[in-house]
Amino acid sequence: MDILIEILIYGSIHSITLALMALGFALVYGTSRVPNFAHGALYIICGFIAWSFLKKWGVNYYLSIVLSIMVIGLIGALIYQFILIRVRGMAISEIIASYAIGLAILEGLRWGGFKGMTYTLPTFIQGTIFIAGVPVDLHRIVVLICGAALVGFLWVFTHFTRIGLALRGMAQDERAALMLGIDSDRMAVVAMAFGSMLAGLAAALLLPLGNIVVETGYNVLILAIAVCIVGGLGSWMGAVLAALLIGFAQILTEVYLGTHFKSVIALLAIIVTLILRPSGLFGRQKELEERV
Amino acid sequence: MLDATGLMVFYENMLALNNVSIRCGENQIVGVFGANSAGKSTLMYTLSGIMEDIRRKEEMAGGERISVLGRINYLGEEIMDLKPAKRAKKGIVLCPERRRIFKECNVVENLRIGGYLASAGQAKKTIEYIFKIFPALEKLQKRIGGFLSGGEQQMLAIGRALMAQPKLLLLDEPLLGLSPLMQAVLVRTTKEIREQKGISIIVTEQYARPVLPIVDYAFILENGAAVLEGGRDELMNNPDVRSAYFGI
Repeated sequence: MDILIEILIYGSIHSITLALMALGFALVYGTSRVPNFAHGALYIICGFIAWSFLKKWGVNYYLSIVLSIMVIGLIGALIYQFILIRVRGMAISEIIASYAIGLAILEGLRWGGFKGMTYTLPTFIQGTIFIAGVPVDLHRIVVLICGAALVGFLWVFTHFTRIGLALRGMAQDERAALMLGIDSDRMAVVAMAFGSMLAGLAAALLLPLGNIVVETGYNVLILAIAVCIVGGLGSWMGAVLAALLIGFAQILTEVYLGTHFKSVIALLAIIVTLILRPSGLFGRQKELEERV
Repeated sequence: MLDATGLMVFYENMLALNNVSIRCGENQIVGVFGANSAGKSTLMYTLSGIMEDIRRKEEMAGGERISVLGRINYLGEEIMDLKPAKRAKKGIVLCPERRRIFKECNVVENLRIGGYLASAGQAKKTIEYIFKIFPALEKLQKRIGGFLSGGEQQMLAIGRALMAQPKLLLLDEPLLGLSPLMQAVLVRTTKEIREQKGISIIVTEQYARPVLPIVDYAFILENGAAVLEGGRDELMNNPDVRSAYFGI
């Protein structure tokens, strides 16, 4: 019984973690059709910026988080405005360009001396509570609540706000959106900035649980892509459900098969999805369109 | 209101629009008729600026070389260099061929995406107006766009274009593939929109008969060139036009 509750609690937390990592990627792809392979790099760089604000310049912790998220949004917008906009609409070039940017950032950080175990951010709240006998640290509860709130916020954003609706329109038919006065280039910059900020937010929430190391950037990218492929590229609701699926699958393997099989699950999920349902769990209408 | 002169569009060396000049006065309905591939959609894309966007994207991807030439004077201003979003903001809104509604959004969301340029007050008023002229849509508010019938989609597409607060509405083949009954409804509503909202309308069709009674002036395109123009009655009495475009 205990083990079930543990799986339930840690499965939920892990799922929300994955969702946080993937939402930025899903949002950018879903709105501007740019596969942002620099996502992992943006995630890590946000951690380092927050660390610099906090430890080097002695800014208040929460303020430094807000500042670093804003900086990362700006970086995302600049990357789009000056680099990715030139390869817009050419899928392969977009992947190569954004991956190259990610690689340059991550390896640049490593080259600049940001390596080792010395970079950490403090948790928001210290302490542990027991839920039905299972110990959970309070920071993970904060992650859970923030992640759920973010999913809710995104739903409201894409269904009720002017910008959110315009982004959805653009994702479905860019030319029709243009006819209605939605400037697709500018909206794509907005989407990229917003997606980068989501990456930054995920970093701010998740990095205090471990060290800030460059390798995490690659892992985050792989997990984000796994979640997005399983959920159906571009469908962020699909991404949330896929995060639940992979999250619980990973926790179950961890409990019953061993920790080292955990990362296999994400990659296996990509392969199985591509074989059985190439357009993902929620790519139904797209699939129909492709056939017609 | 709109005065386009010498419009030429080349796809590589293929001439899609050949020195076309077209005018639309304040509060007028202007028809553009022509067979398939006569250049109607290219003309609409050129007026709304979409052509410029297609050209830029093709150039970026190293695809087809497209050239667009000519002048478009709109409300006393040269707009040939403006991006499509800017032209939409100035009031030129295109309701495209084959409707292109947002298939994954429901009816109200489609309208609200169309209302991107409108203020909250304008959007609310326009939605009410759209439900008044298209009562069928009001019952389908929560229906997903992809599940609407062709006629419903066309009503939605026109409504969505109205949400952008146009001064000049470009309707590209609004009657394509619809039943005669639905065609009659749309033609009647188009006239109502002009009368009630004071919007000028340019409408293209392959088959002129259903639309001709409501147009004030019309142009006939053939192989990318405007071969004939004139007022409604003038064209109706022209024997060539009668046989070619009305099937009389």
